[in-house]
Amino acid sequence: MPVPNDPERGMPGRPFLRSNRRQFLTRAGLLAITAPTLGAFLQACSNAAPPSAGPTLKLAAPDSPVTWDIADDNKPIADGLSPESGATLQVYTYADYLSPDAVKSFEDEYNTSVQISTFNDTTEAITKILGGSVEYDLYFPSYDQIGRLVTGGLIRPLNHTYVPNITNIWPFFADPWYDKEWRYSVPYTVYTTGLGWRTDQVTEDIGARANPYDALWDPQYKGKTAIIDDWHTAMSMVLLRLGITDINTSSDADLQKVSAALTELVAATSPKVTITMYNDLPAGQIGLTQMWSGDAVNAVAYLPDGVSPDILRYWFPADGKGQVDNDLIVSIRSGKNPVLSHLFINHMLDPDVAKQNFSAIGYQPPQNSLNPDTLVADGFIPENLKTAAVRPEYFDVGYRLLELDANNDAAWQNIWNAFKAGGGT
Amino acid sequence: MSAAPAVSPPPVAERPPKERTRPIWPALASPGIVWLLLFVVAPLYVVLSIVFGYVDPIFRTPIPVWNPLQWNPAQFTYVLTHIVGPNGVYGPALLRTVIFVGIASILCLIIAFPVSYYVARLSGKWKGLLLVLLIAPFWISYMMRMLAWVNLLQDDGLVNRILRLGGLFTVDVNWLTGQPVVVILGLAYGYVPYMILPLYAGLDRLPQSTLEAARDLGANRFASFWRVTLPMCRPTIVAAVLLTCLPMLGDYFTGDLLSASPTTAIVGNLINNAVQSPGQAGQAGAFVMLVLIVTVLPMFYYVRVVSRGDEVKV
Amino acid sequence: MTTTDVRSGTGTSRTRSAKPRIRGPIAWWNDPWRPPRILVAVTLGYLIWSLLPVLIAVMFSFNDGRSRTHWQGFSFRWYWGDPTRSVWHDASLHTALVQTLKLGVITTLITVPLGVLFAIGIDRWRGRIPAGANLLMLISFVVPEVLLAVSLLFVVTSLTLPITLGTTAQVIGLVTFQVAYPAVLVRARLATIGRQYEEAAMDLGASPLGSLRRVTLPMLMPAIFASTVLVFADVIDDFVLVRYLSSDASTEPVSVKIYNTARAAPTPALNALATLLLLAALLAIAIGFLVFRRMTRGDATTADRGIGAFAGEL
Repeated sequence: MPVPNDPERGMPGRPFLRSNRRQFLTRAGLLAITAPTLGAFLQACSNAAPPSAGPTLKLAAPDSPVTWDIADDNKPIADGLSPESGATLQVYTYADYLSPDAVKSFEDEYNTSVQISTFNDTTEAITKILGGSVEYDLYFPSYDQIGRLVTGGLIRPLNHTYVPNITNIWPFFADPWYDKEWRYSVPYTVYTTGLGWRTDQVTEDIGARANPYDALWDPQYKGKTAIIDDWHTAMSMVLLRLGITDINTSSDADLQKVSAALTELVAATSPKVTITMYNDLPAGQIGLTQMWSGDAVNAVAYLPDGVSPDILRYWFPADGKGQVDNDLIVSIRSGKNPVLSHLFINHMLDPDVAKQNFSAIGYQPPQNSLNPDTLVADGFIPENLKTAAVRPEYFDVGYRLLELDANNDAAWQNIWNAFKAGGGT
Repeated sequence: MSAAPAVSPPPVAERPPKERTRPIWPALASPGIVWLLLFVVAPLYVVLSIVFGYVDPIFRTPIPVWNPLQWNPAQFTYVLTHIVGPNGVYGPALLRTVIFVGIASILCLIIAFPVSYYVARLSGKWKGLLLVLLIAPFWISYMMRMLAWVNLLQDDGLVNRILRLGGLFTVDVNWLTGQPVVVILGLAYGYVPYMILPLYAGLDRLPQSTLEAARDLGANRFASFWRVTLPMCRPTIVAAVLLTCLPMLGDYFTGDLLSASPTTAIVGNLINNAVQSPGQAGQAGAFVMLVLIVTVLPMFYYVRVVSRGDEVKV
Repeated sequence: MTTTDVRSGTGTSRTRSAKPRIRGPIAWWNDPWRPPRILVAVTLGYLIWSLLPVLIAVMFSFNDGRSRTHWQGFSFRWYWGDPTRSVWHDASLHTALVQTLKLGVITTLITVPLGVLFAIGIDRWRGRIPAGANLLMLISFVVPEVLLAVSLLFVVTSLTLPITLGTTAQVIGLVTFQVAYPAVLVRARLATIGRQYEEAAMDLGASPLGSLRRVTLPMLMPAIFASTVLVFADVIDDFVLVRYLSSDASTEPVSVKIYNTARAAPTPALNALATLLLLAALLAIAIGFLVFRRMTRGDATTADRGIGAFAGEL
């Protein structure tokens, strides 16, 4: 039935687009007037601080160590407090990065409960923390975030009287360049970043190559490789492959080379981008991968029944000139359980707990009681993975992932996101 | 000579008396309207404010700008200029979205139409049982269905074992590393139930008498389908395709589970990656606006189509 | 000898034999009334493709070993046997299950009344505002979930509201996303019922609210109940919204847990968890169906009371 073209006869379901011109102008006028008032109203509600004109970011480096200030409104907790009762300690860390037994022993000792929330990478984690509405007590970043965490007032300085176990760790960490006098952090694990592979899928010895990183670009391994889903780690590996040792470079030319190399990588071997190589490599899903040393050791526990641990291998430059880093434990300021946080930190630095944690997660703690030369003999690392042991000497010559200033960070992130968008193909 | 019969002007179509709406009806609808305004429309304004806002120089957190007169288009133009041209890094992903979603939707239609047609019209006493089996995937967790496929597609999983046929062929395909085919099939697998339901509902309402008339008048099977059945259910098909295709645009987890590789990144992955990187909230918002425009325009078109015909009521 | 009418069935057959003729394949193909064997095959094939992977995943939840691809024997290890990683013993899996059910119940309790009242109000209200509201509701229906999730995330993190990330934000997001379901179903049902019963009641002296309460709502019960079941099933499976709006691990439901663990080191405990959730959904559907049957006793507007009618409401 044809409908007479009468604009005032509204049919049910017909959208209100067919208003006549006058009504349209009236509505547009109303909108134009309300928008700024709406804007002012929302401005009042907004909790975003105005762009920081004040603090600039101090960036720590091995040759320019930093002692962080303790702000007046962010003093450490008082001495001698008793742990919060009936509380749940909220821990924010990587998946499978904390031994359940170590957690259980803490819960039993202090009669409390611990809840672990996980993140996939530290970028995601700090975005969430910067968003402001988290109630985590403990966070496990690397030191490339410590500047932002301190300057943003996100973490609490530590009261050393609660953490006597600090004497158990390598002395260098009691006064590291990124946090002199260990005001805000303690080290958790030390690790190197190299290449891991399985001998049943990769017949050559990757370490014997002139430039072992090239193996990831080798088309014969197409579909069987992976790189770590962390922008700084992965892009630094590309820089090292290109022979550029400043892995925190802000040079535009260098970054362009990285971008081109990443495009080449996707075309050559189309790698998976993940952090679960400790599961995928033993499962046989991948044959060759960029890998953290702790993951290589941990992978042994994930091998299916009947597969011998001998097939796993790990390579790291023998002279120590590769990526070495350590992870930290920090106490988040908006957490509700500061005393328990300190006690947990102390608990993880205990030698027995640290060794048990090592066996469970594969990452080596910088404990004095662990001798890197005897890790194989003591049964922590199998013989075929002895290159995964982390020696203190590596920290003298190795390359570290440092915190980048905002512009450089943005430039790196843009390249990484373009890579992850598959932009090169 | 008789006078020409008085030709009265055709009766003016009378306007029906304007129904006075009792106040109870708007009162009932208002909680829903207020809710939708607060939680659908207002957040979109917040997204706009973030897209056209600034980024804190140190912490890279987004700073929204609420007054439209002060909006800063830098982040939006960044995304737009990086779609095509010399910096076109996002272009391939957007193109891939169109291709993946398009092919997956067509696949869904090819699979869903015969199945819904059979169940709606021809299944007789099995109709109830078949309908339950068809709807069952809705109540099985989407993650579990994808997880089931991850199991099957692993290098030592059932699919490869069957393909090897006990040693007849050597199959060396790694299904779970960056294969677009796997992602497309995964999308189709996941969203087919969303298409079957509206197709079933629409096909159920086709008048059998018309179809029988076509056959009785001599059309063979193919002609009666092509010239009678298909045109009658065109609105249904449009509705079903929209209901499947549009939600697919926001999918990122299917690709993440089935292939953790940048070669299969679609716009959902772009949004997800940007939201989780500091300083890129504006870019995430820009992608959100783009997808929203692409989603809303077909909806306007669909509503226009529906308001002109009454075959399928939504 | 007279030829007898074949249809009467009497007399000697001199015209046609009573046996069916053996027809050639072409005649078989051209017969418009042959049983639709191809469609049956397609439907069965689809059902197998759709449900078999899930059945295999359920089967592996009873696996004795850690593998999810190689069968190593039957046991309940992942349900309650394993002392640290089974569903019964792993506290994180409990929290996930509890959070899922909590979200499901709270969201359904808010969504269904909101949507039903909205639908009734919009249906009876003439004008452009309800038309616009209807369009808004449809848009919230088809918009990809990730857009809604990102915009609500921006709202919660940019404005100081009494809402923080966590269960509250998740419920708000879920209600917004799901409110279209009851609205659409109830509107469809209202269109089928028509207004005569309500008008009759009002002619007999009832107020609009009274006639709504005593006449219309009872007649809408099947649609309301069907939408309750649908919303519940959809919410316990939701992934994108709850992931973006979650705060810590205690607010992560099962779907997020499966996603996180599947990308790390999955064990068959995951399959066990998903199977349990499937059982919960099936239970909800079964209860819903039984209640539906009770409700539609003697209801003139539901043609048949089998499973088909219940699913047909959906």
